[in-house]
Amino acid sequence: MSEQTYEISTTLDVTGLMCPMPLVKARKAIMDLEVGQVIEVLATDKGSIKDFQGWAKVAKNVELLAQNEKEGGDTTIYAHVVKRTK
Amino acid sequence: MVIKAPPTTLTIHEIYQRIISDNDLFIVDVRNQEDFATWHIETAQDIDMVNVPYFDFLEDETGSVEQVKTEKEVVVVCAKEGSSAFVADILHQHGFQANYLAGGIKEWGNHYVFRTVQETDNWQIYQVDRAARGCLSYVLISNGEAVIIDPLRHTDKYLDFLQQKGATLTYLLDTHAHADHISGAPDLAAATGAPYYLHPYDGIHPFDILPPKISYKMLADGDEFTVGDLKIRAIHAPGHTLGQVAFLVTAASGEQFFFSGDTIFLDSFGRPDLGGQGEKWAPIVYDTLFNIIKEAVSDEALLLPGHYAKASEANLNGLFAQTMKQMWQSNGALQYTERDEFISFVLSNLPTMPEQYIEIKRVNAGLVEPDEEAMSELELGKNICALSDAYDKK
Repeated sequence: MSEQTYEISTTLDVTGLMCPMPLVKARKAIMDLEVGQVIEVLATDKGSIKDFQGWAKVAKNVELLAQNEKEGGDTTIYAHVVKRTK
Repeated sequence: MVIKAPPTTLTIHEIYQRIISDNDLFIVDVRNQEDFATWHIETAQDIDMVNVPYFDFLEDETGSVEQVKTEKEVVVVCAKEGSSAFVADILHQHGFQANYLAGGIKEWGNHYVFRTVQETDNWQIYQVDRAARGCLSYVLISNGEAVIIDPLRHTDKYLDFLQQKGATLTYLLDTHAHADHISGAPDLAAATGAPYYLHPYDGIHPFDILPPKISYKMLADGDEFTVGDLKIRAIHAPGHTLGQVAFLVTAASGEQFFFSGDTIFLDSFGRPDLGGQGEKWAPIVYDTLFNIIKEAVSDEALLLPGHYAKASEANLNGLFAQTMKQMWQSNGALQYTERDEFISFVLSNLPTMPEQYIEIKRVNAGLVEPDEEAMSELELGKNICALSDAYDKK
Protein backbone atom coordinates (compact mmCIF):
# COMPACT_ATOMS: atom_id res chain seq x y z
CA MET A 1 0.00 0.00 0.00
CA SER A 2 1.28 3.47 -0.85
CA GLU A 3 2.17 5.93 1.89
CA GLN A 4 0.19 8.79 0.47
CA THR A 5 -2.07 11.07 2.47
CA TYR A 6 -5.72 11.01 1.60
CA GLU A 7 -8.93 12.83 2.31
CA ILE A 8 -11.99 10.71 2.95
CA SER A 9 -15.01 11.84 0.91
CA THR A 10 -17.50 9.41 2.35
CA THR A 11 -17.83 6.68 4.94
CA LEU A 12 -19.74 3.43 4.45
CA ASP A 13 -20.80 1.52 7.54
CA VAL A 14 -21.03 -2.23 6.93
CA THR A 15 -20.40 -3.24 10.54
CA GLY A 16 -22.19 -6.41 11.50
CA LEU A 17 -22.42 -7.60 7.90
CA MET A 18 -20.73 -10.82 6.79
CA CYS A 19 -19.12 -11.49 3.46
CA PRO A 20 -19.87 -10.96 0.64
CA MET A 21 -21.95 -7.95 1.76
CA PRO A 22 -19.09 -5.58 2.80
CA LEU A 23 -17.57 -5.88 -0.66
CA VAL A 24 -20.89 -5.88 -2.52
CA LYS A 25 -21.92 -2.62 -0.81
CA ALA A 26 -18.46 -1.09 -1.14
CA ARG A 27 -18.44 -1.70 -4.90
CA LYS A 28 -21.82 0.02 -5.25
CA ALA A 29 -20.74 2.98 -3.14
CA ILE A 30 -17.54 3.40 -5.14
CA MET A 31 -19.54 3.80 -8.35
CA ASP A 32 -21.17 6.87 -6.75
CA LEU A 33 -17.75 8.47 -6.17
CA GLU A 34 -15.92 10.75 -8.57
CA VAL A 35 -12.65 9.35 -9.90
CA GLY A 36 -9.95 10.24 -7.37
CA GLN A 37 -12.31 10.34 -4.40
CA VAL A 38 -11.75 8.15 -1.37
CA ILE A 39 -14.21 6.04 0.65
CA GLU A 40 -13.70 4.58 4.09
CA VAL A 41 -15.49 1.26 4.63
CA LEU A 42 -16.07 0.27 8.27
CA ALA A 43 -16.42 -3.49 8.76
CA THR A 44 -16.42 -5.84 11.74
CA ASP A 45 -15.77 -9.03 9.78
CA LYS A 46 -12.08 -9.84 10.29
CA GLY A 47 -12.07 -11.78 7.04
CA SER A 48 -12.65 -8.48 5.24
CA ILE A 49 -8.94 -7.58 5.64
CA LYS A 50 -7.59 -10.19 3.27
CA ASP A 51 -10.69 -10.01 1.10
CA PHE A 52 -10.29 -6.26 0.45
CA GLN A 53 -6.62 -6.87 -0.35
CA GLY A 54 -7.46 -9.64 -2.81
CA TRP A 55 -10.32 -7.71 -4.33
CA ALA A 56 -8.24 -4.53 -4.82
CA LYS A 57 -5.83 -6.60 -6.92
CA VAL A 58 -8.50 -7.85 -9.31
CA ALA A 59 -10.74 -4.77 -9.45
CA LYS A 60 -9.59 -2.41 -12.20
CA ASN A 61 -10.96 0.85 -10.83
CA VAL A 62 -9.74 0.98 -7.22
CA GLU A 63 -6.65 1.37 -5.09
CA LEU A 64 -6.54 0.20 -1.47
CA LEU A 65 -4.80 3.06 0.35
CA ALA A 66 -4.91 1.83 3.93
CA GLN A 67 -6.43 -0.63 6.36
CA ASN A 68 -6.74 0.58 9.94
CA GLU A 69 -7.97 -1.07 13.09
CA LYS A 70 -10.20 1.00 15.36
CA GLU A 71 -11.69 0.17 18.71
CA GLY A 72 -15.48 0.26 18.54
CA GLY A 73 -16.77 -0.68 21.98
CA ASP A 74 -16.34 -4.44 22.51
CA THR A 75 -15.61 -5.11 18.85
CA THR A 76 -12.72 -4.17 16.62
CA ILE A 77 -13.60 -2.20 13.52
CA TYR A 78 -11.57 -2.62 10.37
CA ALA A 79 -11.48 0.54 8.27
CA HIS A 80 -10.63 -0.05 4.62
CA VAL A 81 -9.65 3.10 2.77
CA VAL A 82 -10.27 2.78 -0.95
CA LYS A 83 -9.75 5.27 -3.80
CA ARG A 84 -11.66 5.19 -7.06
CA THR A 85 -9.02 5.36 -9.80
CA LYS A 86 -11.15 5.06 -12.97
CA MET B 1 -31.50 -26.75 -20.85
CA VAL B 2 -32.74 -28.68 -17.84
CA ILE B 3 -33.52 -26.34 -14.96
CA LYS B 4 -31.43 -27.38 -11.99
CA ALA B 5 -32.72 -27.29 -8.42
CA PRO B 6 -31.92 -24.06 -6.58
CA PRO B 7 -28.85 -24.07 -4.32
CA THR B 8 -29.13 -25.57 -0.88
CA THR B 9 -26.69 -26.45 1.89
CA LEU B 10 -24.76 -29.71 2.19
CA THR B 11 -23.15 -30.72 5.48
CA ILE B 12 -19.42 -31.44 5.59
CA HIS B 13 -20.30 -35.03 6.45
CA GLU B 14 -22.38 -35.39 3.26
CA ILE B 15 -19.67 -33.78 1.15
CA TYR B 16 -16.88 -35.91 2.64
CA GLN B 17 -18.86 -39.14 2.14
CA ARG B 18 -19.70 -38.22 -1.46
CA ILE B 19 -16.04 -37.54 -2.25
CA ILE B 20 -14.69 -40.74 -0.72
CA SER B 21 -17.45 -42.99 -2.11
CA ASP B 22 -18.35 -41.59 -5.55
CA ASN B 23 -16.06 -38.58 -6.03
CA ASP B 24 -18.90 -36.97 -7.99
CA LEU B 25 -18.52 -33.42 -6.69
CA PHE B 26 -16.62 -30.41 -8.00
CA ILE B 27 -15.56 -27.97 -5.28
CA VAL B 28 -15.35 -24.25 -5.90
CA ASP B 29 -13.60 -22.65 -2.94
CA VAL B 30 -14.35 -18.91 -3.06
CA ARG B 31 -12.10 -17.72 -0.21
CA ASN B 32 -9.11 -15.50 -0.91
CA GLN B 33 -5.99 -17.30 -2.15
CA GLU B 34 -4.08 -16.92 1.10
CA ASP B 35 -6.77 -18.56 3.21
CA PHE B 36 -7.23 -21.28 0.61
CA ALA B 37 -3.50 -22.02 0.70
CA THR B 38 -3.60 -22.32 4.50
CA TRP B 39 -6.18 -25.09 4.37
CA HIS B 40 -8.90 -26.57 2.23
CA ILE B 41 -10.92 -29.75 1.93
CA GLU B 42 -8.63 -32.68 1.31
CA THR B 43 -9.04 -36.45 1.14
CA ALA B 44 -6.85 -39.40 0.13
CA GLN B 45 -8.48 -39.18 -3.31
CA ASP B 46 -7.77 -36.34 -5.69
CA ILE B 47 -10.65 -33.90 -5.51
CA ASP B 48 -11.83 -31.80 -8.45
CA MET B 49 -11.41 -28.34 -6.98
CA VAL B 50 -10.69 -24.76 -8.00
CA ASN B 51 -10.04 -21.66 -5.94
CA VAL B 52 -11.84 -18.66 -7.46
CA PRO B 53 -12.37 -15.92 -4.84
CA TYR B 54 -15.91 -14.56 -4.58
CA PHE B 55 -14.65 -11.06 -5.38
CA ASP B 56 -13.44 -12.42 -8.74
CA PHE B 57 -17.08 -13.37 -9.40
CA LEU B 58 -18.03 -9.78 -8.50
CA GLU B 59 -15.51 -8.24 -10.86
CA ASP B 60 -15.55 -10.72 -13.74
CA GLU B 61 -18.51 -13.05 -13.58
CA THR B 62 -18.05 -14.58 -17.03
CA GLY B 63 -14.32 -15.23 -16.60
CA SER B 64 -14.88 -16.71 -13.16
CA VAL B 65 -17.71 -19.01 -14.24
CA GLU B 66 -15.50 -20.25 -17.08
CA GLN B 67 -13.06 -21.59 -14.49
CA VAL B 68 -15.73 -23.99 -13.25
CA LYS B 69 -15.11 -26.56 -15.96
CA THR B 70 -17.21 -29.50 -14.95
CA GLU B 71 -20.30 -31.56 -15.66
CA LYS B 72 -20.39 -32.62 -12.00
CA GLU B 73 -22.51 -31.20 -9.25
CA VAL B 74 -20.74 -28.19 -7.74
CA VAL B 75 -20.23 -27.44 -4.05
CA VAL B 76 -19.20 -23.89 -3.18
CA VAL B 77 -17.08 -23.36 -0.06
CA CYS B 78 -16.28 -20.11 1.75
CA ALA B 79 -15.29 -18.90 5.19
CA LYS B 80 -18.70 -18.66 6.83
CA GLU B 81 -21.37 -19.61 4.25
CA GLY B 82 -22.50 -16.17 3.01
CA SER B 83 -20.24 -15.85 -0.02
CA SER B 84 -20.69 -19.45 -1.01
CA ALA B 85 -24.48 -19.04 -1.09
CA PHE B 86 -23.96 -15.92 -3.20
CA VAL B 87 -21.66 -17.68 -5.70
CA ALA B 88 -23.85 -20.81 -5.78
CA ASP B 89 -26.71 -18.55 -6.94
CA ILE B 90 -24.55 -17.14 -9.72
CA LEU B 91 -23.52 -20.65 -10.83
CA HIS B 92 -27.14 -21.78 -10.69
CA GLN B 93 -28.08 -18.94 -13.03
CA HIS B 94 -25.40 -20.20 -15.39
CA GLY B 95 -27.00 -23.65 -15.48
CA PHE B 96 -24.97 -25.47 -12.83
CA GLN B 97 -26.33 -27.79 -10.19
CA ALA B 98 -24.68 -25.89 -7.36
CA ASN B 99 -24.94 -26.26 -3.59
CA TYR B 100 -22.78 -24.92 -0.77
CA LEU B 101 -21.10 -26.04 2.43
CA ALA B 102 -23.25 -25.45 5.50
CA GLY B 103 -21.39 -23.37 8.09
CA GLY B 104 -18.35 -22.65 5.91
CA ILE B 105 -14.82 -23.96 6.11
CA LYS B 106 -14.75 -24.12 9.92
CA GLU B 107 -17.07 -27.13 9.64
CA TRP B 108 -14.26 -28.85 7.76
CA GLY B 109 -11.92 -27.93 10.59
CA ASN B 110 -14.30 -29.52 13.07
CA HIS B 111 -14.97 -32.66 11.03
CA TYR B 112 -13.94 -35.88 12.75
CA VAL B 113 -13.99 -39.29 11.10
CA PHE B 114 -14.03 -42.44 13.25
CA ARG B 115 -12.43 -45.43 11.49
CA THR B 116 -12.12 -48.98 12.73
CA VAL B 117 -8.55 -50.18 13.21
CA GLN B 118 -9.66 -53.56 14.50
CA GLU B 119 -12.84 -54.95 16.02
CA THR B 120 -12.99 -58.28 17.79
CA ASP B 121 -15.66 -59.67 20.12
CA ASN B 122 -13.66 -58.64 23.16
CA TRP B 123 -11.90 -55.45 22.17
CA GLN B 124 -12.01 -52.71 19.58
CA ILE B 125 -9.61 -50.00 18.46
CA TYR B 126 -10.71 -46.91 16.52
CA GLN B 127 -8.71 -44.17 14.83
CA VAL B 128 -10.24 -40.71 15.01
CA ASP B 129 -9.12 -38.47 12.18
CA ARG B 130 -9.55 -34.71 12.30
CA ALA B 131 -8.78 -34.48 8.63
CA ALA B 132 -8.42 -30.72 8.28
CA ARG B 133 -5.50 -30.79 10.69
CA GLY B 134 -3.95 -34.19 10.07
CA CYS B 135 -4.46 -34.98 13.75
CA LEU B 136 -5.12 -38.54 14.86
CA SER B 137 -6.49 -39.69 18.18
CA TYR B 138 -7.61 -43.11 19.31
CA VAL B 139 -10.39 -44.83 21.21
CA LEU B 140 -9.72 -48.28 22.70
CA ILE B 141 -12.61 -50.26 24.12
CA SER B 142 -12.74 -53.58 25.96
CA ASN B 143 -15.15 -55.01 28.47
CA GLY B 144 -17.27 -51.85 28.47
CA GLU B 145 -14.32 -49.67 29.41
CA ALA B 146 -12.67 -47.14 27.18
CA VAL B 147 -9.37 -45.32 26.89
CA ILE B 148 -8.82 -42.27 24.71
CA ILE B 149 -5.33 -41.42 23.53
CA ASP B 150 -4.67 -37.79 22.52
CA PRO B 151 -8.29 -36.57 22.45
CA LEU B 152 -8.87 -33.34 20.55
CA ARG B 153 -10.88 -30.47 21.87
CA HIS B 154 -14.33 -31.27 20.41
CA THR B 155 -15.10 -33.54 23.31
CA ASP B 156 -18.75 -34.19 22.35
CA LYS B 157 -17.55 -36.24 19.37
CA TYR B 158 -15.87 -38.71 21.74
CA LEU B 159 -18.66 -38.68 24.31
CA ASP B 160 -21.27 -39.41 21.62
CA PHE B 161 -19.13 -42.22 20.24
CA LEU B 162 -18.65 -43.81 23.67
CA GLN B 163 -22.34 -43.57 24.39
CA GLN B 164 -23.13 -45.24 21.10
CA LYS B 165 -20.67 -48.03 21.99
CA GLY B 166 -21.99 -48.30 25.54
CA ALA B 167 -18.52 -47.81 27.01
CA THR B 168 -17.38 -45.91 30.10
CA LEU B 169 -14.30 -43.74 29.92
CA THR B 170 -11.64 -45.17 32.23
CA TYR B 171 -8.39 -43.41 31.28
CA LEU B 172 -7.37 -40.35 29.30
CA LEU B 173 -3.82 -40.49 27.99
CA ASP B 174 -1.94 -37.69 26.27
CA THR B 175 1.25 -38.80 24.56
CA HIS B 176 2.70 -35.33 25.17
CA ALA B 177 1.82 -31.66 25.61
CA HIS B 178 0.67 -30.77 22.12
CA ALA B 179 1.82 -27.64 20.33
CA ASP B 180 -0.39 -27.82 17.25
CA HIS B 181 -3.79 -28.41 18.81
CA ILE B 182 -5.69 -27.98 22.03
CA SER B 183 -6.07 -31.15 24.05
CA GLY B 184 -9.57 -32.37 24.88
CA ALA B 185 -8.31 -34.39 27.84
CA PRO B 186 -8.80 -31.85 30.67
CA ASP B 187 -12.40 -31.18 29.57
CA LEU B 188 -13.14 -34.88 29.18
CA ALA B 189 -11.67 -35.55 32.62
CA ALA B 190 -13.92 -32.86 34.08
CA ALA B 191 -16.98 -34.20 32.25
CA THR B 192 -16.51 -37.87 33.09
CA GLY B 193 -14.27 -38.08 36.15
CA ALA B 194 -11.80 -40.27 34.24
CA PRO B 195 -8.18 -39.60 35.25
CA TYR B 196 -5.98 -37.67 32.83
CA TYR B 197 -2.37 -38.86 32.49
CA LEU B 198 0.53 -36.82 31.13
CA HIS B 199 4.27 -37.08 31.63
CA PRO B 200 5.23 -34.40 34.20
CA TYR B 201 8.08 -33.04 32.06
CA ASP B 202 5.37 -31.90 29.65
CA GLY B 203 3.30 -30.21 32.33
CA ILE B 204 5.79 -27.37 32.30
CA HIS B 205 5.57 -24.88 29.45
CA PRO B 206 8.96 -24.99 27.68
CA PHE B 207 9.15 -21.24 27.08
CA ASP B 208 7.35 -19.85 30.11
CA ILE B 209 8.84 -22.36 32.57
CA LEU B 210 5.76 -22.14 34.73
CA PRO B 211 3.93 -24.92 36.51
CA PRO B 212 0.67 -25.96 34.83
CA LYS B 213 -2.79 -24.93 35.96
CA ILE B 214 -4.42 -28.14 34.81
CA SER B 215 -4.77 -31.16 37.02
CA TYR B 216 -3.31 -34.41 35.75
CA LYS B 217 -1.78 -37.61 37.02
CA MET B 218 1.91 -38.08 36.42
CA LEU B 219 2.78 -40.69 33.85
CA ALA B 220 6.11 -42.54 34.11
CA ASP B 221 8.06 -44.87 31.87
CA GLY B 222 6.79 -48.43 32.29
CA ASP B 223 3.38 -47.49 33.73
CA GLU B 224 0.75 -50.03 32.79
CA PHE B 225 -3.00 -49.69 32.34
CA THR B 226 -5.32 -52.59 31.79
CA VAL B 227 -8.67 -52.26 30.09
CA GLY B 228 -10.38 -55.61 29.62
CA ASP B 229 -8.30 -57.59 27.15
CA LEU B 230 -5.96 -54.73 26.33
CA LYS B 231 -2.76 -54.03 28.22
CA ILE B 232 -1.23 -50.58 27.70
CA ARG B 233 2.41 -49.85 28.54
CA ALA B 234 3.87 -46.35 28.57
CA ILE B 235 7.29 -45.90 26.99
CA HIS B 236 9.07 -42.63 27.71
CA ALA B 237 10.34 -41.60 24.29
CA PRO B 238 11.58 -38.00 24.51
CA GLY B 239 12.90 -35.71 21.78
CA HIS B 240 9.84 -34.09 20.23
CA THR B 241 9.10 -32.97 23.78
CA LEU B 242 10.93 -33.93 26.96
CA GLY B 243 7.87 -35.69 28.33
CA GLN B 244 6.92 -37.46 25.09
CA VAL B 245 5.48 -40.90 25.74
CA ALA B 246 4.37 -43.64 23.35
CA PHE B 247 1.99 -46.47 24.22
CA LEU B 248 2.53 -50.09 23.30
CA VAL B 249 -0.74 -51.97 23.51
CA THR B 250 -0.85 -55.75 23.65
CA ALA B 251 -4.17 -57.54 23.18
CA ALA B 252 -4.96 -60.85 24.89
CA SER B 253 -4.53 -62.42 21.43
CA GLY B 254 -0.90 -61.25 21.40
CA GLU B 255 -1.41 -58.65 18.68
CA GLN B 256 0.43 -55.40 19.31
CA PHE B 257 -0.37 -51.79 18.47
CA PHE B 258 2.09 -48.95 18.82
CA PHE B 259 0.54 -45.56 19.54
CA SER B 260 3.56 -43.48 18.71
CA GLY B 261 2.25 -39.98 19.43
CA ASP B 262 4.69 -37.57 17.81
CA THR B 263 7.75 -39.82 18.03
CA ILE B 264 7.55 -41.59 14.69
CA PHE B 265 5.04 -41.04 11.87
CA LEU B 266 4.37 -43.15 8.77
CA ASP B 267 6.59 -41.00 6.61
CA SER B 268 8.45 -38.69 8.98
CA PHE B 269 9.07 -38.17 12.68
CA GLY B 270 8.42 -35.52 15.31
CA ARG B 271 10.58 -32.41 15.00
CA PRO B 272 12.80 -31.64 18.01
CA ASP B 273 12.58 -27.86 18.03
CA LEU B 274 9.05 -26.95 19.14
CA GLY B 275 10.33 -26.42 22.67
CA GLY B 276 12.94 -23.99 21.37
CA GLN B 277 15.83 -26.42 21.96
CA GLY B 278 16.26 -28.10 18.57
CA GLU B 279 20.03 -28.55 18.80
CA LYS B 280 19.85 -30.10 22.25
CA TRP B 281 16.87 -32.28 21.54
CA ALA B 282 17.77 -33.60 18.04
CA PRO B 283 20.25 -36.16 19.50
CA ILE B 284 17.52 -37.25 21.92
CA VAL B 285 15.22 -37.91 18.95
CA TYR B 286 17.93 -40.11 17.47
CA ASP B 287 18.29 -42.14 20.66
CA THR B 288 14.54 -42.49 21.01
CA LEU B 289 13.99 -43.69 17.44
CA PHE B 290 16.97 -45.96 16.98
CA ASN B 291 17.46 -47.23 20.51
CA ILE B 292 14.30 -46.97 22.58
CA ILE B 293 11.62 -47.57 19.95
CA LYS B 294 13.59 -49.99 17.82
CA GLU B 295 14.28 -52.08 20.94
CA ALA B 296 10.84 -51.93 22.51
CA VAL B 297 8.53 -52.33 19.54
CA SER B 298 8.43 -55.43 17.37
CA ASP B 299 8.29 -55.33 13.58
CA GLU B 300 4.83 -56.90 13.64
CA ALA B 301 3.26 -54.17 15.81
CA LEU B 302 0.86 -51.92 13.97
CA LEU B 303 2.04 -48.30 14.02
CA LEU B 304 -0.73 -45.81 14.79
CA PRO B 305 0.78 -42.31 14.70
CA GLY B 306 -0.38 -38.99 16.14
CA HIS B 307 -0.27 -37.15 12.83
CA TYR B 308 -0.03 -37.40 9.10
CA ALA B 309 1.12 -34.75 6.67
CA LYS B 310 -0.74 -35.82 3.53
CA ALA B 311 -4.11 -37.52 3.15
CA SER B 312 -2.44 -39.84 0.62
CA GLU B 313 -0.56 -41.56 3.46
CA ALA B 314 -3.77 -43.50 4.21
CA ASN B 315 -3.94 -47.16 3.27
CA LEU B 316 -6.72 -48.66 1.13
CA ASN B 317 -9.07 -48.77 4.12
CA GLY B 318 -8.54 -45.07 4.71
CA LEU B 319 -6.52 -45.82 7.85
CA PHE B 320 -3.26 -44.13 8.74
CA ALA B 321 -1.47 -47.28 9.87
CA GLN B 322 1.19 -49.73 8.82
CA THR B 323 3.36 -52.33 10.52
CA MET B 324 6.56 -51.13 12.13
CA LYS B 325 8.42 -53.26 9.62
CA GLN B 326 6.84 -51.40 6.70
CA MET B 327 7.55 -48.09 8.39
CA TRP B 328 11.27 -48.84 8.94
CA GLN B 329 11.49 -49.74 5.26
CA SER B 330 9.57 -46.86 3.74
CA ASN B 331 9.82 -43.86 6.07
CA GLY B 332 11.35 -41.21 3.85
CA ALA B 333 12.79 -39.23 6.78
CA LEU B 334 14.88 -42.14 8.10
CA GLN B 335 17.42 -42.20 5.31
CA TYR B 336 20.30 -41.33 7.66
CA THR B 337 20.90 -43.90 10.37
CA GLU B 338 24.34 -42.72 11.51
CA ARG B 339 23.97 -40.50 14.55
CA ASP B 340 25.90 -37.41 13.36
CA GLU B 341 24.46 -37.53 9.84
CA PHE B 342 21.00 -37.94 11.27
CA ILE B 343 21.35 -34.94 13.57
CA SER B 344 22.68 -32.62 10.89
CA PHE B 345 19.94 -33.82 8.53
CA VAL B 346 17.30 -33.03 11.15
CA LEU B 347 18.70 -29.60 11.93
CA SER B 348 18.88 -28.65 8.26
CA ASN B 349 15.29 -29.71 7.57
CA LEU B 350 13.39 -27.91 10.30
CA PRO B 351 10.31 -26.12 9.00
CA THR B 352 9.47 -22.71 10.47
CA MET B 353 7.69 -22.92 13.77
CA PRO B 354 4.17 -21.51 13.67
CA GLU B 355 4.00 -18.60 16.10
CA GLN B 356 0.74 -19.82 17.65
CA TYR B 357 2.34 -23.09 18.83
CA ILE B 358 3.75 -21.39 21.91
CA GLU B 359 0.30 -20.09 22.79
CA ILE B 360 -1.36 -23.48 22.16
CA LYS B 361 1.04 -25.04 24.67
CA ARG B 362 -0.03 -22.35 27.13
CA VAL B 363 -3.66 -23.36 26.62
CA ASN B 364 -2.75 -27.02 27.15
CA ALA B 365 -0.96 -26.16 30.39
CA GLY B 366 -4.00 -24.18 31.54
CA LEU B 367 -2.00 -20.93 31.63
CA VAL B 368 -4.49 -19.13 29.38
CA GLU B 369 -8.16 -19.78 28.62
CA PRO B 370 -9.14 -18.46 25.19
CA ASP B 371 -12.75 -18.35 23.98
CA GLU B 372 -14.10 -20.53 21.17
CA GLU B 373 -13.26 -18.07 18.40
CA ALA B 374 -9.70 -17.63 19.64
CA MET B 375 -9.27 -21.41 19.92
CA SER B 376 -10.49 -21.89 16.33
CA GLU B 377 -8.05 -19.26 15.17
CA LEU B 378 -5.13 -20.90 17.03
CA GLU B 379 -5.93 -24.20 15.36
CA LEU B 380 -6.15 -23.02 11.75
CA GLY B 381 -4.46 -25.09 9.10
CA LYS B 382 -2.51 -28.32 8.98
CA ASN B 383 -0.21 -29.42 11.79
CA ILE B 384 3.52 -28.86 11.26
CA CYS B 385 4.81 -31.29 13.87
CA ALA B 386 6.87 -33.41 11.51
CA LEU B 387 10.21 -32.66 10.02
CA SER B 388 10.08 -30.66 6.79
CA ASP B 389 9.03 -32.69 3.78
CA ALA B 390 12.09 -31.41 1.92
CA TYR B 391 13.25 -35.02 1.97
CA ASP B 392 10.38 -35.84 -0.40
CA LYS B 393 12.80 -35.25 -3.22
CA LYS B 394 14.32 -38.63 -2.39
